[in-house]
Amino acid sequence: MKKVNDASSGKRVMELVRNNAVPIMFIIISAIFIPMAGLTPGYLVDEIVTRMGRNLFLVLCLLFPIMAGMGLNFAMTLGAMGAEFAIILVADWQIWGIPGVVLAMILSIPFSALLGILCGTLQNMAKGREMIISYIMNYFISGCYLMVVLYMMGPIIPIKHASIMLPRGLGIRNTVSLLNMRQCLDDLLAIRVGGVKIPVLTFILVALLCLFIVWFRRTKLGQDMRAVGQDMQVAKDAGINVDRTRIISVVMSTVFAGFGMVIYLQNIGNLPTYTGHSQIGMFCIAALLIGGASVEKASIGNAFLGVILFHLMFIVAPKAGAFITGDSMVGEYFRVFMSYGIITIALIMYETKKRMNKSRAGRELAEAQKREEGAK
Amino acid sequence: MKLKRRVAFILLTVLMLAAIAAWMMVIGRGHTVYLDNKTLEDYQGQEYKAYERVVVTVKGEEVAKLDKRDRGMSVWIGQNFEMTLEITEKKGDEPVVKEVSVKLPYSVDGIVINLPAYLAGLPEEAWYSEFVPMVKEEPDEEEPSIGDDFGLEGDLGLEGELGAGDI
Repeated sequence: MKKVNDASSGKRVMELVRNNAVPIMFIIISAIFIPMAGLTPGYLVDEIVTRMGRNLFLVLCLLFPIMAGMGLNFAMTLGAMGAEFAIILVADWQIWGIPGVVLAMILSIPFSALLGILCGTLQNMAKGREMIISYIMNYFISGCYLMVVLYMMGPIIPIKHASIMLPRGLGIRNTVSLLNMRQCLDDLLAIRVGGVKIPVLTFILVALLCLFIVWFRRTKLGQDMRAVGQDMQVAKDAGINVDRTRIISVVMSTVFAGFGMVIYLQNIGNLPTYTGHSQIGMFCIAALLIGGASVEKASIGNAFLGVILFHLMFIVAPKAGAFITGDSMVGEYFRVFMSYGIITIALIMYETKKRMNKSRAGRELAEAQKREEGAK
Repeated sequence: MKLKRRVAFILLTVLMLAAIAAWMMVIGRGHTVYLDNKTLEDYQGQEYKAYERVVVTVKGEEVAKLDKRDRGMSVWIGQNFEMTLEITEKKGDEPVVKEVSVKLPYSVDGIVINLPAYLAGLPEEAWYSEFVPMVKEEPDEEEPSIGDDFGLEGDLGLEGELGAGDI
């Protein structure tokens, strides 16, 4: 009896390890890297708390399309571009502080929503290949964004301040200073615990988004989204407007990504006009996957764990890389390599697991059929 | 009926967001206020002398200590600029504290206030002027760095004031 119990608990542990292989792998890597990096615990905690405030909102916005079965939304970058566009206007109008942040969020909504509708419609035309569509959309809209910001801002879209314009008189500079709204959200209501700054207001916003997600899952639309995510055909037969539900999920994702990008930029304090959005999608998706999420399933917990682990890796990797190789540049490249590598490993693991489950189900069905035939 | 309600809800939301945006534009307009402690010469035949020293406090924070011919600076969000001035008129005098509130014009970014003229109660034309930044000589072209597919060129989009690791 005891042997049977041991065997079943061993199986359970194996199952647990298999299901959480990516976070476990990262915990192990971090445990090896932290002593090599030689950073103090206080510094690490401070950095992670700052990065949580900066990135969590962006990572959480990925949950909506996963809920609707559309996989990882690389098109969240579209929302980020909408936010950048809004931030440029707000910087030119000289709206500072919290009002500037709120105005940028509001202004980003139409851009993000419009791009979300466009992306969702395209994804509906290519069901089953949503991720690659969103990835390519990201490049396409990025080109449009460049055209608007580089050539239309100035002559067509009026920009008053020469300080944000390129010297040639059209287009926006490489970097737009957001000094007058820098960390205005983070500093308001901030408290210090043992030398670590806790950006309370930013965390309240993150908590509100988490509560919204929990509430939204229970609404009719949320239930519809989950039904669509589980089986589109069944959902359609049940009278759910599948295409509309999927578009709404993408729009929600891009709009919240726009808000998240504003929070991110106010924390950084400047806008890298042409490159700010380019890596956001990739890093957020990597963080979510590290947290144990998959293409089909993700939770708020995955987002939190992912941001902590991914950024812990981001903080310690350059120092650890420099320690191992003696070259600090290797550490910098190592971080980028890690984020792409994680996405690849997580996607391979997801696909392997899916195939294993499929073949196991096939085997079980075949065995059941054999048993049935044997009984006859 | 359901459609009407939905349209009304959307319209109401849009109106509410537009109202909040408009409100934010009013209360969030930033200005840079330059404070001069300089003698105003020959205004309607009279001279208004600079103070020995003016200490300017804005929102409880000391932003400038102005001796004669000095210029200080403060940033302000909104149109109702408030400051506390600790004025020492002549050497050896006791400083006098004054609470001052100035209405700032919405459309102007940089505003120069001549303190001796303002505190003498002169009309706006005497103490107010717009700050015009000097035009810097700049190279004709600044190439925007767009980066490559792998984010390994340029600054990875992460270079802020805080360095490459700030994502």
